Amino acid sequence: MKRSLFGFIAFVVAGLAWSQEPGYKQPSVVMAAVENIQLRAGGSFSLALDFRIGTDFHINSNKPRADYLIPTVLKLNPTEPVAVADVKYPAGEDMTFAFSPNEKLSVYSGDFTIDTVLKAPANAAAGTYPVKGELRFQACDRSACYPPRSIPVQFQVIVVRK
Amino acid sequence: MLKRNAFIFVMLVVVIMGMLAVGNYLDRSRKHGPVKLVGDVRNVPAPDFELPSLDGRKIKLSDFRGQAVLLNFWATWCSPCKIEMPWFVDVQKQYGKDGLVVLGVAMDDTESAKIAEFTHELGVNYPVLLGTDKVSDDYGDVRALPTTFYIDRNGMIVAKAVGLLGREEVENDVKKALSSSYKPSLAQPRRAAVAVKTSQTKEATR
Repeated sequence: MKRSLFGFIAFVVAGLAWSQEPGYKQPSVVMAAVENIQLRAGGSFSLALDFRIGTDFHINSNKPRADYLIPTVLKLNPTEPVAVADVKYPAGEDMTFAFSPNEKLSVYSGDFTIDTVLKAPANAAAGTYPVKGELRFQACDRSACYPPRSIPVQFQVIVVRK
Repeated sequence: MLKRNAFIFVMLVVVIMGMLAVGNYLDRSRKHGPVKLVGDVRNVPAPDFELPSLDGRKIKLSDFRGQAVLLNFWATWCSPCKIEMPWFVDVQKQYGKDGLVVLGVAMDDTESAKIAEFTHELGVNYPVLLGTDKVSDDYGDVRALPTTFYIDRNGMIVAKAVGLLGREEVENDVKKALSSSYKPSLAQPRRAAVAVKTSQTKEATR
């Protein structure tokens, strides 16, 4: 039994060591669930979309400091008559790599929120309309970067008449 | 009873992890063929490839047998890659006469003209090749960039660096790759030598 326990501990330690190798962990970004939104015909609705970036990773902000960097972009494709009136990205935080302290990057890390405004015209028919889209981002950790990815963004908008 | 349950639990965890690993391997094998480089890759032959370069040539890794190769996977969107590329320019200048060849493999999904513009701005003095998923898979599914392989004169990998390390580490690994002596009996027949251009400014379409 002791031998089995020792084997198990060795297995776990080896696994942990392997997971510490640079490049092993893959970046993740997840979106908090959005409950159905009630939007009055002729009105607008401010919707905050919350995202969480995996520990140890960051992604470029919507306005990275160099042309060659891939910005974080939210694309929403609402079903008519729902429309996107505005998308506001948070400001990025400054970050530098240890080997290049003079080159500042503008990034998001941890949790961040993208504020959107949805609207529906006054003559919009009452009903439930899906909004689908994606968040495109490119992630890095302290020493390496990972290919750009997209995650799906979707929720429902319920248009109600006055 | 408790000990027996713990033992069963441990075995269950081991079996599940093993099944996941085998499943992942089989899935990848089905899609791309066997992954050739995993785990410790030192003293493993570097998989050969033929890739187009930015200036329109076809370059094979085996063209450089007898020379040490620094094979750097990078992309234009990778900030740490941009930091270390000037170091590679320097080591190419410093150790080129000793038989070092630096090869960049761009993993961008963009037009080669943009890659050429980027490398031109950085003063890259070594061939930059346009990477493919196959080459990435052959080298162990290169996702984290930069990833650099140091290959000795006989085509054997002597070091692998994932992520941005220091300039000193780069130079140490270059010296390791150069320290081997060329043994034609160990290496595949060398093809026609390919000259390393001193500048990489010509644009080509991908």
